Amino acid sequence: MSLATFLERTWSGLTGLVRPRSAASLFRLADQYRHEGRYEEAADLIAEGLRLAPNISVGHLLDAYLHVVFRDMPAAKESFRRVLALDPYHPRALFGLARIALEEGDIEGCRPFLDRAIQYFPDFPEAKALQEMVATWSAPAVAAPAAVGTISTDRLRPPPGARDLILTHTDGTLVFAQGSEERQRQLAQHMIQVYRIASATLARAGLGPLRRGVVEGASEMTFLRSDGGVILGVALPRDIDVGAGLVQVGRLWTDLNIKS
Amino acid sequence: MAEAQIPSEPTASPEATSPRGSRAQAFRETVFELIRLDGVRGGLIVTPDGLVITAELPPRFPVEALAALAATLGRELELGATRLERGAFRTAMFSADDGTVFVGGSPVGYLTLVADRNVNAEAVRAALGRAVDRLRGTWRNAGAA
Repeated sequence: MSLATFLERTWSGLTGLVRPRSAASLFRLADQYRHEGRYEEAADLIAEGLRLAPNISVGHLLDAYLHVVFRDMPAAKESFRRVLALDPYHPRALFGLARIALEEGDIEGCRPFLDRAIQYFPDFPEAKALQEMVATWSAPAVAAPAAVGTISTDRLRPPPGARDLILTHTDGTLVFAQGSEERQRQLAQHMIQVYRIASATLARAGLGPLRRGVVEGASEMTFLRSDGGVILGVALPRDIDVGAGLVQVGRLWTDLNIKS
Repeated sequence: MAEAQIPSEPTASPEATSPRGSRAQAFRETVFELIRLDGVRGGLIVTPDGLVITAELPPRFPVEALAALAATLGRELELGATRLERGAFRTAMFSADDGTVFVGGSPVGYLTLVADRNVNAEAVRAALGRAVDRLRGTWRNAGAA
């Protein structure tokens, strides 16, 4: 076989291998990769598919999902909106925007997306779970320290190394918190959100109301306690034993002499 | 109004894929390992976008609803840790009168376990921490490949 024939056959074989693929097949493969956790490869295929067919909603939906996985929420929001521009009642795009609004603390912004998704697709368990969860929420309120009521914060003896001690009512009203006003606001907002979402998760699993929580970060451990009326939270050094941390929180709870 | 059908996740189902050697296989093995611990009733891994990668829960558990809540909880814990400068979120446990929910955070998603009230919380938390480290490793290795 001559060199020219060999090269011609090789070239023909190669071009056969790289035949252009349709956008639909690219999205299908991208979704398969997404299910397998091969996100980087999926992202490349979605980008290629959207170049070929920029008006296919499933492509933008997959694009949004990948942005969420990479925690790029502004880009995810944009892609979910592109889906809605093509299909205004796409439930998964509505649900995606609801979840982003929720994590931004925009509860009022979250509700209409969930309502719309469920209005057209009543049997949508994920959206229903979030809709039921946010139904009774309101934005956390900040009360003056005088609004402590029956709870006495005078006898509090924070353990060594304690930080971010906070007490709020479960409706979000702040009773007491350490730190600057901005820190208190951030603490209260986060603790209420964690309490509400964890409570909804426990309830959905049929386990009852939240009593205690431990959140392990790379540099601190946060301990929570609640009786359904108030939530007490405190951050302790990372190396504390969980049992010892819970004992410390129990002691604070007793100090507060909480009567709910 | 007739009940409309929700468009399912785009095109593929987890069962339709071939997970051999993929991250998905590692995820499933991780969940299987954890649900063998005493007092652990079941578990799942859900990605931040709410996709259930693998779920091993008793039949009565509403998987989709739990996954949506677990993903929302995982994201809030992740965001809070960053905003409050507490270092990256690793694990959490929330106990109630009738059981405990554990959540582990990783770039891949959130590993959630449902356990009995009297579970050895420290043992489960330690095992969950190791699993989270493995998931982080899976993510880093694939990213470096």
